[in-house]
Amino acid sequence: MRALALALLAFPLLAQHGRYLSDSNNPAIGDPKAIAAGTKLFMGSCAGCHGPDGGGGARGPNLVRRSLWHPLSDDAIFQVIRKGVPGTDMPPTKLADDQTWHLVAFIHSLTGPASTNPVPGNAAAGKDIFWGAKAGCANCHAIRGQGGRLAPDLSNVGGSRPLAVIRESILEPAKDLSYLGNEAATVELKNGQTITGVAKNRSNYSLQLVDAKGRLHLLQMADVKKLTISESTSMPTDFAKRLTRDELRDLLAYLATQDIRLETAKGSK
Amino acid sequence: MKRALFSLLLAATAFAQVRNEDIVKGPGADWLTYAGTYSGWRYSPLNQITAANAKNVVPKWVYHVPGARGLRSSPIVYQGVLYITNTNSVYAIDARSGRLVWQYADPRAKEGGVNRGAAIWADKIYFTTSDNYLVALDRFTGSLIFNRKFADVEKGTTSTSAPVIAKGKVIVGSAGGDGGMRGFIMALSADNGDELWKTYTVPAKGEKGSETWGDLIEWGGGAAWLSGTYDADLNTLYWTTGNPWPDYNGSVRQGDNLYTCALLALDLDTGKMKWHFQFTPHDTHDWDAQSWPVLIDTQIMGKPRKVVLHANRNGFFYALDRVTGEFLRATQLIDKITWAKGIDDKGRPILLPNSEPTATGNWVCPSVKGATNWMGQSYNPGTGLLYVLTLEQCGMYFRSSQNPEPMKHFSGGGATEEGGQVVLRALDPKTGKRVWEYPMTGAGRMWTGTVSTAGGVIFSGDDDGHFVALDAKNGKNLWHFNVGELLTASPVVYSVDGKQYVAIASASAVFSFGLFEPASGVEPPVIQMKK
Ligand code: HEC
Ligand code: HEC
Repeated sequence: MRALALALLAFPLLAQHGRYLSDSNNPAIGDPKAIAAGTKLFMGSCAGCHGPDGGGGARGPNLVRRSLWHPLSDDAIFQVIRKGVPGTDMPPTKLADDQTWHLVAFIHSLTGPASTNPVPGNAAAGKDIFWGAKAGCANCHAIRGQGGRLAPDLSNVGGSRPLAVIRESILEPAKDLSYLGNEAATVELKNGQTITGVAKNRSNYSLQLVDAKGRLHLLQMADVKKLTISESTSMPTDFAKRLTRDELRDLLAYLATQDIRLETAKGSK
Repeated sequence: MKRALFSLLLAATAFAQVRNEDIVKGPGADWLTYAGTYSGWRYSPLNQITAANAKNVVPKWVYHVPGARGLRSSPIVYQGVLYITNTNSVYAIDARSGRLVWQYADPRAKEGGVNRGAAIWADKIYFTTSDNYLVALDRFTGSLIFNRKFADVEKGTTSTSAPVIAKGKVIVGSAGGDGGMRGFIMALSADNGDELWKTYTVPAKGEKGSETWGDLIEWGGGAAWLSGTYDADLNTLYWTTGNPWPDYNGSVRQGDNLYTCALLALDLDTGKMKWHFQFTPHDTHDWDAQSWPVLIDTQIMGKPRKVVLHANRNGFFYALDRVTGEFLRATQLIDKITWAKGIDDKGRPILLPNSEPTATGNWVCPSVKGATNWMGQSYNPGTGLLYVLTLEQCGMYFRSSQNPEPMKHFSGGGATEEGGQVVLRALDPKTGKRVWEYPMTGAGRMWTGTVSTAGGVIFSGDDDGHFVALDAKNGKNLWHFNVGELLTASPVVYSVDGKQYVAIASASAVFSFGLFEPASGVEPPVIQMKK
């Protein structure tokens, strides 16, 4: 399993980036009314195959965590709904343009960046949770220059990830692929020095390690006596218990606003 | 006590911050700005690779930049990490092994033009997105520190150049211009991206210089595609400006069209223009001045001078006094120039007839690509020579009678180019004369800059994908390597662990070279996986 995770890891990020390259300007995108109308249509005509939350079913693929590698844009979704995918179970439809856009808006709300969709909750309260001691997110994660450097930077998490994916990263981090660049590592050098941190990259020949102070060490494996790599993520796995439902909702609302494309540091400290 | 202090110092140097004096000092192990120095020399004092041993240069690693197709980026290197940009993205690469340390990408940026490189200051890496955000990243992890939008892409402005940072000011410029826009140069705070000053390259209606324009002055162009150079003693920035708009149709903008196709001397603290010098008044051939202003101190006409050298697209090689802006001299950079007989003693071109773009076209040399372009030149204090890539090429210039409409990418005509030969030329700054030249193989596409070293070697690219080493004294070819695709950027020199490297971006990858060393096998490391 681990080997598979490593093999896949070079691409999930890129694949997801591909998805968001061309969001449409159609007014339905991000519009709560259009999304509600689209939800209804989806439940009626699509959920049977794609699952009620778009999470995949026996006859249709997961639309949220996509395993198909081609990038998908709002316009492409529109065309898929209209024309179907010939040669597969995905049928064409005869819906009117606006209804089709309602469906696109719904799928966008599942798969598009959280910052481009309506998100429930109180972002200001979520900000306090993120930066507070109880959750301790900022010990590891940084947003716009503040916070820890050992975990992925979250300055653009709302601008690059669907809400469902952010939620899952927090509640079930172990389920996520732990991709290269986030491995917790301890290295003992032949000169007696020990450094603990995160392996940004490694091979049999070199190791690029960021320590707890956020400083980079460029090492040669020839100088390494022993390297210890953690098989599991350092992201705590008990947030489902530690955070109340409201706290989680607000935290998500705050993370959803973290988008490097939004003018000024809207959600920053 | 002494010992404790010593180890503290050690720790401090191990994770130092880039300061003004580090950049002023110029390259050594590190390469801290696009051109290596503030003065635009692209020169390295490293001398491990020499004219005698350059035959032993071999590739050390290659990094394929994901999705790259025409990299224009010149790397910067600091403490063993090489930073290279592509459109809306930055890659930090272990400069010894070629392994990726981090990457930052902003795929939702509007527009997608080229990017010429990053800048470094303190602990941050800076670059601009094509839609005019200044982005500051943690140099160790690539974490975003801040980003700030400094201009509207909707007004025809994009961003391509590597920022220059001096005294905490990040200097950026506006690209665009061939669809109409108003060019500017701007200083932003390195701490938070706040705007400190903004100097337009084209005056506003009613301002001094506006009498050199017609009605379209607001869209006059004068882009700053390229970054510039800086004289710390004079506290002055030297920045060149782009062509006027519409490019090929001069009838709608009678006059000199200040301050396009010019060199501007700006005060670093205020952005105030100290002087300007226009190379091509009322340009109609897209001969913007986007080539480097190189700062050297030398004897010219028997007098020691602070000089700025500039090889221009219009075919002439200029020397100006960089304190006063006084025109000193211009010589021919290329052999075939048909639009001007020469440059008079005020610095104005002496025009020849039948050179203007027309409906049926006029055949003019140099071509629209220019006698040289943005690729970096190199000044070597050892040989006292300036190494410039030049292009001997001519072409047809056409003018359209259509009414110019801003933002429609209507450049008022068009141009073709034919054949052409790229020649690397060594020029003597004292006389402006050619000392030697190296004609290159290839199709006249010309995109590679030069770097030269204290080892007496010039590295540059042939016009057909060969990376070459030449003897800086006489231009003799010493070594070549086929990278298998066009070279579209300028090389840099750095060292790690006392070993000298030379790196260059090809169209899709970064290559790093060094002297041959026999390989030594590596034992498989002891790696323990822990639950
Ligand atoms: C009979 C089952 C079925 C029904 C009903 C169905 N789909 Fe699909 N859908 C599929 C299958 C199977 C695919 C995968 C096609 C392929 O292999 O590329 C698919 C693909 C898609 C894709 C492209 C996914 C991607 O990642 O490229 C979208 C979007 C989509 N469906 C939306 C819808 C919508 C909206 C509806 C309702 C109007 C709907 N589907 C109804 C089976 C179904
Ligand atoms: C002890 C360190 C640590 C703490 C505390 C922590 N995380 Fe994480 N987090 C990580 C690491 C490491 C990853 C990288 C993914 C992995 O290892 O699977 C991660 C991944 C994530 C991701 C996915 C990032 C991506 O690029 O998709 C999100 C979102 C996230 N964390 C949010 C949070 C939030 C919100 C909190 C506080 C409630 C938190 N984390 C607390 C270490 C931490």
